Amino acid sequence: MNDDDINPDVTDRMLLQRMSTGDRTALSVLYRGYHGRLCRFLSRLTRRPDIIEEVINDCFWIAWQKAGTFHGDSRVSTWLMGIAYRCGLKALRQHGDEPVEDDNLPEQRTAAHDLDEDRELRDWLSKGLDHLSVDQRAVIELVYGVGHTLDDVAVIMQCPVGTVKARLFHARVKLRNVLPALAGDSPKLKENVP
Amino acid sequence: MTFPKNSSGRDCVRAWDTMPWVLQNSATQEQGEWLKDHLAHCESCSAEFAQQNRLQRALSLPVDMPLDANAGLKRFLGRLDTADAQDESFRMRSGSWLSRALVAVVLIQALGIGTLGLKLWSTGNSPAYRTLSQVPVPVAPGAIRIVPDADMTLANWNALLHSLRLQVVGGPNDVGAYTVAPMGSASTTHTLQQLRATQGIRMAEPVAVTP
Repeated sequence: MNDDDINPDVTDRMLLQRMSTGDRTALSVLYRGYHGRLCRFLSRLTRRPDIIEEVINDCFWIAWQKAGTFHGDSRVSTWLMGIAYRCGLKALRQHGDEPVEDDNLPEQRTAAHDLDEDRELRDWLSKGLDHLSVDQRAVIELVYGVGHTLDDVAVIMQCPVGTVKARLFHARVKLRNVLPALAGDSPKLKENVP
Repeated sequence: MTFPKNSSGRDCVRAWDTMPWVLQNSATQEQGEWLKDHLAHCESCSAEFAQQNRLQRALSLPVDMPLDANAGLKRFLGRLDTADAQDESFRMRSGSWLSRALVAVVLIQALGIGTLGLKLWSTGNSPAYRTLSQVPVPVAPGAIRIVPDADMTLANWNALLHSLRLQVVGGPNDVGAYTVAPMGSASTTHTLQQLRATQGIRMAEPVAVTP
């Protein structure tokens, strides 16, 4: 944890403390501050925007109710991400984790914003993540996307660090096997894959 | 946990473990420099690191989900309002239910007290028992308890009482005894002697007053 992490966490703790007294302004600030991060994380678990929004609101519903019981054992961001992860798993059990049809994806927005290279990269990642389990996708996002340590990920996923290491290892092995082929890389690497 | 076949060397294992943290900038400078040296002469790890780098770039691209934070927040605040309204409604219903229950209890209690009072009033004021502290019923002076024969006629009984100037003040009780008292100032002893001598009188005893 560096200084850049400490200051936002102090602010987040103050917001949580105000939320525990029913301050909706503090809730709004925290909601807007974390919406993007949670949206990105949850988009690795499911491609359905309706489920993602439902999970984000479920996550803040719990945060609103439990704000007074937050004891600061971890950073607020880790705590919130853990709640979102568990809400996400619950939503996937209820709705299934199948992606929506391509017709329902935000095609216009993607086309308008992405350069060709970015779109190709996004497509490459999406196809690679399709080969991973939900837990593996979550670990990849938390480590490579968000930049969490193994200890943080263990707190978020409520499992031992060893389990996180194993999930990360197996996810990387799977991606190592499929990503070069998806990118059309040299066959030499493919031959070396176990 | 097994390692990919092409990275079986100890250095490759170490490089594999170090890559995520170097990409995160959370590895030490020493780890970063070591990995850089290793990648310079290990084609397999170099390819893997390039792929890891590309993976990280792909994961850092903006999210392609059309989710508006303000719209989501509005819906969330609406959900809170609904929940608050439901809580308030539940509290009001609970309060109303509690008040009604208390009124019912008070009414039942009042009804019970009324019924009990009515029953006590209907049974009269004199209890069916006597305590030792109560003053005994006064007995007339010179009272005598008499048990006549069962076949004594009423005429003989009346004649006897009349001749001895006695009047019945109590009885007959469960064993057929009468309590009689003298109407004049005749001697009780004399009256007793006369009664005991009369045919048809089985027993005649003065009534003893309990001290």
